[in-house]
Amino acid sequence: MTLTPAQIEALVRANADALGLRLTPEQMPGVLRYVALAADMAALVDGLPLGRDDEGANVFVPVAPAARE
Amino acid sequence: MKPCTLDAVTIAAEVRAGRLRASDAVDSCLARIAATDDRVNAFTTVLDTRARARALMVDSKPDRHTLPLAGVPFAVKNLFDIAGLPTLAGSKIERDAPAAARDALLVRRLEAAGAILVGALNMDEYAYGFTTENSHYGATCNPHDLARTAGGSSGGSAAAISAGQVPLTLGSDTNGSIRVPASLCGCFGLKPTFGRLPRTGTYPFVASLDHLGPFARSVRDLALCYDLMQGWCAEDPGCAPRAAEPVSAVLDDIDLGGLRLATLGGWWREMADADALAAVSLVREALGVTRDIELPEVARARAAAFLITNAEGANLHLPDLRTRADDFEPLSRDRFLAGALLPAGWVQQAQRVRRRFAHEVAQVFDTVDVLLAPATPCVAPLLGTEWLSLGTQRLPARPSLGLLAQPLSCIGLPVVTVPVWNAQSSAPHLPLGVQVIAAPWREDLALRVAAALAREPWCRAPIAPLA
Repeated sequence: MTLTPAQIEALVRANADALGLRLTPEQMPGVLRYVALAADMAALVDGLPLGRDDEGANVFVPVAPAARE
Repeated sequence: MKPCTLDAVTIAAEVRAGRLRASDAVDSCLARIAATDDRVNAFTTVLDTRARARALMVDSKPDRHTLPLAGVPFAVKNLFDIAGLPTLAGSKIERDAPAAARDALLVRRLEAAGAILVGALNMDEYAYGFTTENSHYGATCNPHDLARTAGGSSGGSAAAISAGQVPLTLGSDTNGSIRVPASLCGCFGLKPTFGRLPRTGTYPFVASLDHLGPFARSVRDLALCYDLMQGWCAEDPGCAPRAAEPVSAVLDDIDLGGLRLATLGGWWREMADADALAAVSLVREALGVTRDIELPEVARARAAAFLITNAEGANLHLPDLRTRADDFEPLSRDRFLAGALLPAGWVQQAQRVRRRFAHEVAQVFDTVDVLLAPATPCVAPLLGTEWLSLGTQRLPARPSLGLLAQPLSCIGLPVVTVPVWNAQSSAPHLPLGVQVIAAPWREDLALRVAAALAREPWCRAPIAPLA
């Protein structure tokens, strides 16, 4: 799925509002460029069909009491 | 011979035997730093007083003949905690942070073995970069050509080795930050398996991808340093609960007859220029390798690493991005801001692709023991370079220096970077590194192959004259 420049800008403005990030006019062109690049990367990872057993790599490790070094 | 020109194993042997004082080894390195660092800019802090005091302690220790790194000066990327100093991680923002209460765990482990910390080293801000062009602390220059980048983000760690300032340094590698500077500065570097070395007491970049590791001028130094740093630590949730598996002894066995070796094709040919391919050819020929292997879905794995890095790295700094974004490095500020805004679905999909890629590559390692690939697409670019040409592709230079490293750290494979000289036609005075890659937890195999290569006259880590 490719996003248009208008969709990228809408995403940036909505998510910045949701996170409380105030983007300045000076920052905005760079931010749009990098989010567009990330969208290209997202299209690549989204293009790989994954199944039920394709678990994410971010696995939680329970914390046990342990002696500190 | 000046002590600063010796490798760590030699310095330690001399100190243990009483032929060299730790104080003289430290003074030699401090003098070399003073004579060269105005041009190289590898160090952000030099710890003269601490290092000299520590050297006197080592010299007066009755058991110094038992210390594996007796009197060996070393330095660390400035994301390692050093007691009494704020941990900068290359930033201006962290200057205001409280001083570290104690040294990072790996610093403590090396000093327990007799090594002596002499300073902190320059890096890209928060490790987000491959060139150590740091606006707050200045760029680190490549000792072999001061007009060129040392690579990054552990640029100071590689440059200090190649400038002959210290024989041993530590750095970190999230997407290539040990391998890229080792390649461009012409020294040896080890990025161990993800989870092998505890990161306790270091400033994270992307916790789910960060690795720590050593740089050195010899393979035996890499192996010894790595052995002394191994061991699980409960304080790092990313550290695997495994017993130490020392590797120094296996370096004596450099008969590679039983090992299955292959060169990586596909992505690693397409994203490499003629110099990088020539370096791999030299290694391939020396090892008698005839087999090529292509890994599946490399572009997607690289994309996964990109997204995880961007989102997780940015989230760590969200409070500062909200309140003082313009205090970030200009080269990375907008990337951090962008990373904070990525939809969760993109990042979670990236984590699943990462796991799938790891499974695919594990199957490849059923048929091969060690893979070879260039570490960087080209030799060190001039500082300030904006674009790279690779075949018909025109790519942004700074992120593209990590193209050949990123898919491998994405799945945590151990990699030794070996420096190759005299293969590059476009810049014969510059090195280019080759990655020696093994399956997870098989650092021993990568180091054995690196040790075999280090017998070749073109595989070495010379000290730049900097006359």
